[in-house]
Amino acid sequence: MPYKILDKKELAMNEVWYKIHAPHVAKKVQPGQFVIVRAFPNGERIPLTPVTWDRDEGWITLITFVRGKTTMRMANELKPGDELLNVAGPLGNPAPMKKFGKILAIGMITGIVEVFPIAKAWQEAGNEVTTLHVSPNPMVILKEEFENAVSRHIVEGFDLQPGWGMNEIAQELVKRAVAKVKELLENEHFDMILTVGPAGGQKAVFNVVKEFGIPMHADLHPIMVDATGMCGACRVTVGGEVKFACIDGPGFDAYKVDWDELIHRSGFYAPMERLALETYLKQLQAQGGEQ
Amino acid sequence: MAVRRKLIKERVPTPERPAEERVKDFAEVNLGYTFELAVKEAERCLQCPYDYAPCIKGCPVHINIPGFISKLVEYRDDPDKAVKEALNVIWACNSLPATTGRVCPQEDQCEMNCVMGKVGDKINIGKLERFVADYAREKGIDEELLFEIIPKIEKKGQSVAIIGAGPAGLTAAGELAKLGYDVTIYEALHEAGGVLMYGIPEFRLPKSIVESEIEKLKKLGVKILTDHVVGRTVTIEELLEEYDAVFIGSGAGTPRLVNAPGVNLNGIYTANEFLTRVNLMKAYKFPEYDTPVYVGKKVIVIGAGNTAMDAARSARRFGADVTITYRRGPEDVSARIEEVHHAKEEGIKFEYFINPVEFIGDENGKVKAVKFEKMKALEEKDSRGKRKIVGTGEYVTLEADTVIIAIGKHPNRLIVNTPGLKVERGKIVVDENLMTSIPGVFAGGDAIRGEATVILAMGDGRKAAKAIHEYLTKKREGQNA
Repeated sequence: MPYKILDKKELAMNEVWYKIHAPHVAKKVQPGQFVIVRAFPNGERIPLTPVTWDRDEGWITLITFVRGKTTMRMANELKPGDELLNVAGPLGNPAPMKKFGKILAIGMITGIVEVFPIAKAWQEAGNEVTTLHVSPNPMVILKEEFENAVSRHIVEGFDLQPGWGMNEIAQELVKRAVAKVKELLENEHFDMILTVGPAGGQKAVFNVVKEFGIPMHADLHPIMVDATGMCGACRVTVGGEVKFACIDGPGFDAYKVDWDELIHRSGFYAPMERLALETYLKQLQAQGGEQ
Repeated sequence: MAVRRKLIKERVPTPERPAEERVKDFAEVNLGYTFELAVKEAERCLQCPYDYAPCIKGCPVHINIPGFISKLVEYRDDPDKAVKEALNVIWACNSLPATTGRVCPQEDQCEMNCVMGKVGDKINIGKLERFVADYAREKGIDEELLFEIIPKIEKKGQSVAIIGAGPAGLTAAGELAKLGYDVTIYEALHEAGGVLMYGIPEFRLPKSIVESEIEKLKKLGVKILTDHVVGRTVTIEELLEEYDAVFIGSGAGTPRLVNAPGVNLNGIYTANEFLTRVNLMKAYKFPEYDTPVYVGKKVIVIGAGNTAMDAARSARRFGADVTITYRRGPEDVSARIEEVHHAKEEGIKFEYFINPVEFIGDENGKVKAVKFEKMKALEEKDSRGKRKIVGTGEYVTLEADTVIIAIGKHPNRLIVNTPGLKVERGKIVVDENLMTSIPGVFAGGDAIRGEATVILAMGDGRKAAKAIHEYLTKKREGQNA
């Protein structure tokens, strides 16, 4: 099944955009749905969100943030004309499409990519959509696209400090997101909130939203393997019941999600993911040494 | 040809790798027969006549077992010819003999009925089937035979969509392709094979063998669309517009979970997730392969079916201390005897009559122990003929840093949600011809059974192919009239 890379660009540091020939997905995908991509024979299956698509021409676009081994390998090794091994989908349920009124859609770091198709469709469905992107500055993306698609796009960026690790970035992210969301909610009325991003950030934002009692839709991305309801890796407790994010979600009522469990489960493979990345970096260095 | 046979009571054993060696890797445990050994075993067969042979009756796909076994003896001086003739007999009923020869519960099917069992060891039918398939593959005899079959296929000009490239779907596809239909399989995962790829470990069924069986289907003209999730990428209604018939072989993909607190702690896997990571994604080769799996020092597997054995033996190969726990007693274990035996040889412990009631986590949300209630069996039997069990009110806690839940599966929810498709207790309802409530849509395997074996799914695939053939023949004749 050839999924040809029609085009590829680096949008900013660590942000890579791919245009992929995947007619079966392009034909059916709805905002809120995702695909599973496998790029290399020894690679893993990773969930990514189609950002835009053309049903007639049969392509979708994907944006990856270089974070772990797979996204880095994709950035380093794939070029236009190459093929992805697998693009499965569309998967998951579409986001609810109706008139809510005034919406605040928050995308933290990588989450902003998933916000885009939903926010755009919500705006087109007659809502007034404000999008908020909270992220370290070098990761600001899709700014122009958002500005064209929704009523208002706010970027809450911050500079990375020397010596910061993932923990410091996460803390700063949560601090910025919480402050900005609080400010917006205190000054304006919203009928619906959407969040996408790291589970810790989503929980922090939810805690603010809860105080205002506004409905909140959270698009979750727990760890997934098959993403067709078969393995159960992505299970989350929602309203006291075990749900599979891949077939029951990925969007859920934020008020019903067991956030602490989601945070624990999302971090489980972090040490192994680091090992995979370090091994890959060493391989790259060794190859560089031979040249 | 009435040849008086001397009864050889003892089975010719197949060589196996010693337990202490095999727990260190994922290579195959059983090494199979050589031609000489296969002939020796084949000679033991009493050659019951076709109409009587109880082994054939015990086989869900009714392979002419004495027929294929006799070829090995008849052409013993020409191994290639012997295998080709034997394979030809098997293929009439079964397109995946290398797989079924390995994973069928022969002791409950063909071999259970073997007449030799009355005087000695039953004929080792499974290993003979496996030998024929393996030898044919290694020598390219299967290809030769395939290319003799292909030109004889008469194209029907009708098409069938098959959902799921597991045992049921692959079998139906093979049969329908041989009958001249254009067959397209829709597979959700990135590789065809279904449970044969994601569920059954390499040491029991090497993936290269499944791949080679699938290659043969492709040569028969079967198209396989991977990455197509029926229910999302395409619906059954849409398939019906494009194809003349549809077969659902989507399996029992949704894992059942233990309904107990703490079930979502880290380190608790469903058998499906654990086996998918290990088999399909090759997590045992991490970080050479990118998908990780966490196997701690102490592993508890809950359940005692074949899946539980596969999960336990896989975990053992990561060096873990593994215990299988079961809420019933040893007499109710549903796994194959051979698998239980292999598991025990490999040092896996068994704890019976304990039922998990709580998963206990550490401060990081990772499992550290499982609390079980001790159970006891009553004399009274339940609806499945097993002794009823009840809790005793006594508890025991076992340490574990990895837990694998292998207590069964439900049919895949994406498929059963199709409008107009009659479903009862999660299973697709079919008539005696395996047709569902939607005309032209047939179903088989675990999608209708809940959870069964590879060979029963294949039996359904074959039966459905026959029914689809009849259905499409009528449709064709109706159109031509």
